[in-house]
Amino acid sequence: MTAPPVLRVSALTKCFFGTAAVDDLYLDVHEGEIVALIGPSGCGKSTLLRCLTWLEQPDDGFIEVTGKPFGRELTNGGVVRRHSRREIDALRPKIGIVFQQFNLWPHMTALENVVCPQVVVLGRPRVEAVRRGEEQLARLGLAERMDRHPRALSGGQQQRVAIARALAMDPALMLFDEPTSALDPELVGEVLSVLRSLAEVGMTMLVVTHEIGFAANVADRIAFMDRGRILEEGPAHDIIAAPREPRLRNFLDLVLANRPHAIPGTRINKTE
Amino acid sequence: MHFNPALLFDYWPLLLQGAWLTVQVSAFALVIGYAAGVAVAMFALMPGWLPRLAAGLYIETLRNIPFIILIFVVYYGLPFSGIRLPATVAGTLALALFVSAYYAEIVRAAILALPRGQFESARAIGMSPVQAMRHVVAPQILRALVPPSTNMTLTMMKESAVLSSITVPELTYQSLVVQGNTFAPFEVFAAVASIYWLIAIVIAEFSRRLERRVGAAQIESINRNPIAERYLSLVARRA
Repeated sequence: MTAPPVLRVSALTKCFFGTAAVDDLYLDVHEGEIVALIGPSGCGKSTLLRCLTWLEQPDDGFIEVTGKPFGRELTNGGVVRRHSRREIDALRPKIGIVFQQFNLWPHMTALENVVCPQVVVLGRPRVEAVRRGEEQLARLGLAERMDRHPRALSGGQQQRVAIARALAMDPALMLFDEPTSALDPELVGEVLSVLRSLAEVGMTMLVVTHEIGFAANVADRIAFMDRGRILEEGPAHDIIAAPREPRLRNFLDLVLANRPHAIPGTRINKTE
Repeated sequence: MHFNPALLFDYWPLLLQGAWLTVQVSAFALVIGYAAGVAVAMFALMPGWLPRLAAGLYIETLRNIPFIILIFVVYYGLPFSGIRLPATVAGTLALALFVSAYYAEIVRAAILALPRGQFESARAIGMSPVQAMRHVVAPQILRALVPPSTNMTLTMMKESAVLSSITVPELTYQSLVVQGNTFAPFEVFAAVASIYWLIAIVIAEFSRRLERRVGAAQIESINRNPIAERYLSLVARRA
């Protein structure tokens, strides 16, 4: 038997006032994979991420993280059992999320941002938490910035602190919500290299993004989402070079019309 | 008529006793009221309509009746449920109830003013609601809580004068006694006014120090110019 996928989403549905933001959605993310989730604004990408961290409670469907049910499960008798708050909190560190606005805690230094959740949530001894925190921050090139408060850091540095904070919890999966949107365009390359370096150590990632060029560059697989469903998914190359779904074609046309050099299919060469 | 403060000479101990009780009653009401206020604020912020409704009812009930009526209801109402409390205790409880509604609103507003992402990022990483409140929310709102809480505490301390109407021997009650003995209302009330003023000044000064202490860490980071910081960090990166 093969190992279960790191993330398995099945039949996930979330309605806001009768409108389905996420509509009967299925998605698997396997170990070491980077999946980019693209789609027009309001297609439910962010709602999906919020459901995956249980910040938004899905109305229906199941989430499994490394084979373990998260939030609710189907018991042997065929009855759906909702998990208690404690059970949900216990699995949450396994799903690291980097928010669009990073949401660092401004009253703590960069290092303390990374150390605090390890001590509070995982109960690690402070010494060990500090050691791991320093290690993560140093790996992300923040060795000189550890004792700064977030407001004294640039956007890119803040983002890396947020990544370190999530990584220090030893997650099985990292979620990124629009990692390029809150940064200066010149920093996009920096984010890309950070994500690539995570991929090198085998981290599994689900990246929600508007930037199609970024998606094409970073991801192994692209999933196109519209009106709460995933309409098409496949290897990054194929999706962009030969979209089948008309709505995806439309979306790509629109995005490319605005930024003609965003996806030079020929310039992307992931194998090199 | 002559202004003759010497008349009060024999009555100073009585007035001071009353002042001391005012301070004690206010201090207890502050502690009990704040604890209850925080609890009510937590209820008001819980998901689901039931706790929110309960907190809303609590706050609206206590805010919308005159304090003196609240005192009468507590003092004369408790014996109906078989609880007989001395006037001072009943009065302190009524005072605590009264401020707790306002403290709850202060705490609730301070928490709501914090970006929601702060609490959410703490929850998403696995902290329980209590842990998120303690490690992420509370340290950020403490400083903002001090000025409005001080205002309310001063108001509450002054409102404690109304406890005289259920025979709690605090400052105002004693002043009425002294006034009855001396027939010198102006002298007595002028003296009592100065004592209230003094107590208020002490509370205000205490709160100023508290604000400075609680805010020490935050002031350090706020006083730095963020634009300059950002510029320096960018330059440092280039180098």
